[in-house]
Amino acid sequence: MSAPGASIGAHPFSAGFLKAWVDQAGAFQELLARLADQSSAGLHPSMPPPHLAPWKDFVDGLGMGSFNPSEMFPGAPALGLSREYQETARRLVELSRQFQQRYTEFAQQNATVMQDAFHVMKKRVDARLPPKSPAELYDAWIDCAEDAYHQAAHSDSFARLLADLCNISSAMKVERGKLTEQLARHLDLPSRAEVDSLHRQVRALTAALRRPAPAVRTPRKRAKK
Amino acid sequence: MSTAPDSLAQLLQSAAAMQESGRAVLKTMLGMGEIEVGTSEKRCVYSEDKIRLYRYAPLARSAGLKPLLICYAMVNRPYLLDLQPDRSFIRELLHAGLDVYLLDWGYPDGADRFLGFDEYVDGYLRRCVEFVLKEHVIDSLTLLGVCQGGTMSLCYAALHPMQIAQLITMVTPVDFKTPENLLSKWAQHIDVGLLTQSGNVSGDFLNLIYLSLMPFRLTQQKYVNLLQMQGDRVQLENFMRMEKWIFDSPDQPATAFREFIQWFFQENRLIRDELTLAGKPLRLKNITAPVLNIFASKDHLVPPSASIPLGAHIGSKDYQALEIDAGHIGLYVGGKTRKTVPAAVMAWLKKRS
Repeated sequence: MSAPGASIGAHPFSAGFLKAWVDQAGAFQELLARLADQSSAGLHPSMPPPHLAPWKDFVDGLGMGSFNPSEMFPGAPALGLSREYQETARRLVELSRQFQQRYTEFAQQNATVMQDAFHVMKKRVDARLPPKSPAELYDAWIDCAEDAYHQAAHSDSFARLLADLCNISSAMKVERGKLTEQLARHLDLPSRAEVDSLHRQVRALTAALRRPAPAVRTPRKRAKK
Repeated sequence: MSTAPDSLAQLLQSAAAMQESGRAVLKTMLGMGEIEVGTSEKRCVYSEDKIRLYRYAPLARSAGLKPLLICYAMVNRPYLLDLQPDRSFIRELLHAGLDVYLLDWGYPDGADRFLGFDEYVDGYLRRCVEFVLKEHVIDSLTLLGVCQGGTMSLCYAALHPMQIAQLITMVTPVDFKTPENLLSKWAQHIDVGLLTQSGNVSGDFLNLIYLSLMPFRLTQQKYVNLLQMQGDRVQLENFMRMEKWIFDSPDQPATAFREFIQWFFQENRLIRDELTLAGKPLRLKNITAPVLNIFASKDHLVPPSASIPLGAHIGSKDYQALEIDAGHIGLYVGGKTRKTVPAAVMAWLKKRS
């Protein structure tokens, strides 16, 4: 993608936000590559997660780089003109940290599954005749891997881990949605909230149209005294 | 594995053969062009928002049975039932003289995010049923529900029992909390309110979950097995049709999806008699029409244990469970089952006509 912020670069918030979005896509790829290389300390707790860097740049772009109360006094409330953005950015950072932690556990659990699968595979090969072809060997490996995965996938810990990853991702999407709303307002574009409110109105109108019309009452003429 | 020279020679020979197969597969796939699905002739007879009600053109003399309305799941596209001329559940029913209607939920978008589950069941589905009844000037029809569409059909039959002459459920979850149900186990801890707070749930997300049920078979072995097809065009086209169907997954309307996961998967309200739809309490005991419950013994999405309990919860005295030796999808497109399952449905219907 070529300089997405260029056309709206006049506004530092818009440009910074878009840049953060684009950079984050690349950063996630880097994160996955590092997760795959945990043995070489790819994920050191003291290192900032790569997908946080774009948001840090975004926060710095708001002039919070030199004065960030949350960094100076962890847990302190956000202050100043960019208070609301600080709050959102802080939540995003925290959610990213949680996601990284849970994803590391997930990757470790998967590594255990693979190890279990290899053990079962070795036992099977030792106990029976060796596979006659690469295809037979491959199918035996898939059977072992699925069996080991099946055991893990049915455990409560696996379900909780998967749910945590899903829930954290959902929360991040909600926070990013808030920033997108701000961006839309800055650019005078229709926001999701506006569209939602229109959809609700259309839905209410459609429901009203479907309801059977009430019987029309003709007012009785008063009898003349 | 032995590494003796003769074994090594065998291995190299196998590797060379695999490479040749791969080349043949690639060559055939490159010349394949557009894949056609859902080719049986049909016309749209009713539409509303994203939904379409289709009526299939007859292929045989009428068997004199009530029209059949198929309610498919919202999470996939219904053309699985009419994948190709020689693998078509619907075509088999048409050949047997049945008048077939199909409810296609379409591809929901942002405009549908606030539609509740009850609006799909007691709104769209009800209006489709009423359309068919009016068209044929009859009081009741046969409703056939597939997977999630089966659950929706059960809800409908319980709310409007007089409109259902016969009910057929196929691979339909009824008890959502059985030990074999992996999807349900995973769904228990998901904050579905948060998941749907930012709008509809993407089809890609659901596909990721489905693939995660058997990741090694569904993301690796399946494609490696292509090599065994040796570039056979017919086999590869069949494979590609299925591949298209698997990943052609509509986004799920946020509110209806949240309610479906919460009420059915997390709270198991259907068999606990705790479900209220469209302001009415929904009781499976209200279903008194004859019911045929078809489930697949190797189903990894809706395990048999999720479908089997239906008989114990409905009010019908005419209930039959039919176990098919197949998987969730193989039931419709498998070598034998693509003929035997429609034949079993027709025999069951004729017995009750």
